[in-house]
Amino acid sequence: MLRLAMVVSVVAATVLAEGFTFTIGNPVASQDFRAKGAAFVFRTEGCADPAKSQISATAEGLLKGERKSLTLQVMAMPKPGIYAVFLGWPAEGDWIVNLKGTCAEAKAGALVPIGPKGFIREASKFFHRPATDAEIETSLKALRQRGKK
Amino acid sequence: MCTRHVSRNLAAYIDGGLPPVNARQTEFHLEQCGSCRGECDQVRRGMAMVEHLSVIEAPEAIWFSIEAALQDNQQREIRMAGWWRWALAATVVLALAGGALWRLAQPAGARWEVVRLDGSPSVAAKPIGGKGQVGAGEWIETDARSRAVVKVGEIGSVEVAPNTFVGVVAARPGEHRLALVRGEIRAKITAPPRLFFVNTASGTAVDLGCEYTLHTSEDGFGTLQVTKGWVAFEWKGLESLVPAGASCQTRPKLGPGIPYFDDAPESVRRALEAFSLGNNRSEALSTILSESRVRDTLTLWHLLSRVEGGDRGRVFDRIAALTPVPAGVSREQVLELDPETLKRWKEELAWTW
Repeated sequence: MLRLAMVVSVVAATVLAEGFTFTIGNPVASQDFRAKGAAFVFRTEGCADPAKSQISATAEGLLKGERKSLTLQVMAMPKPGIYAVFLGWPAEGDWIVNLKGTCAEAKAGALVPIGPKGFIREASKFFHRPATDAEIETSLKALRQRGKK
Repeated sequence: MCTRHVSRNLAAYIDGGLPPVNARQTEFHLEQCGSCRGECDQVRRGMAMVEHLSVIEAPEAIWFSIEAALQDNQQREIRMAGWWRWALAATVVLALAGGALWRLAQPAGARWEVVRLDGSPSVAAKPIGGKGQVGAGEWIETDARSRAVVKVGEIGSVEVAPNTFVGVVAARPGEHRLALVRGEIRAKITAPPRLFFVNTASGTAVDLGCEYTLHTSEDGFGTLQVTKGWVAFEWKGLESLVPAGASCQTRPKLGPGIPYFDDAPESVRRALEAFSLGNNRSEALSTILSESRVRDTLTLWHLLSRVEGGDRGRVFDRIAALTPVPAGVSREQVLELDPETLKRWKEELAWTW
């Protein structure tokens, strides 16, 4: 019986962890005027208590050939689980935003490339864990390639 | 030949109130007669200005004096000669007119700073130097070479483009309202929603926290283009919600058109235009449905409330095919245009816009 309970709890935790992720959108999606100047907004999905989730973001970029990493302010919107990311990186260079989140035991990550017209939805990547360094470098490389086209 | 001028008919002609035969005669005369055409333009502008005036309640004191006058009138009615009645009526009318003038003369809110950017913009028909001020009831006019920027209280600014005629209707903390008769303005507002409004001949642009460009001609044809946030364009119960990156055409007596993203496929935009003008709507709708992308659910969501019966079902099915229908939104509720359901669906769809 104990073994069954453990199996169930492990499966449940795995399912929950698999379900925790981010959805990104234009600032209007937040339905809050304070986000109108944001680069983009995002929300947590699959988190039973979004108010208790831990969220952070960094801007990862290449500026004049030099690799940079900047901590970004993430503004929580009044509706739980919705956040806004404001421009916190130089206009020059190639930049992606690296989102990290924790909800209880579950983790989520996302890489959101920033183009000249704003965030690039179709090139964004979502994970059920934080993005690895290799994934960040690959995304940055892809963004640079995209910019050269 | 410019005989039998049509001055008397102009107001009714512009308002669409002339019988067809008289309207055609007036139109024909206007084509021939430069003097009447000029007069027609003046009347049209005057009517547009009147439409933008806000309704102002008469001061309480006026009503007391009217009631007192009426009571007095009843008591003396029997004794009064016929001309006395006319005199009393004239007094009441004068009192009302005086009250209205008194009210209009009162400062209806703050005065906003106007800064010249180019040329010689004017406020209340007087050219401003470097800076000026504008208040409720006053108009800003720019010619082809002039531009100006208006600081809208504490909530933002409005750039007035060349060839623009725009007035201040209200300048109070709870209501910042302009009337755009013709030309173009660019608004940048940093305030909570529903504090900044722009009246036009084809509806009112309501700020929901935004930056946008609004262009209109005197007869109400225009375009609203939003660069940040949301704008609601409202006209007689019809509402178009236009988010950043989208635009909306406006037409006289039809109000706001259906919004579309500026990067929408050309085929969708052309079909939308045809649909709005009522040209072969069924074919236009088919094109819109088949060519729409996920992002164009903005357009499709607005179409739900502007089509009937079976077509509404087609629109629902297309949106559902493009993006999953969220929990709490059912086909039946959408087809019945349940406001809460439509709002919930719009808020979910907005994540794809």
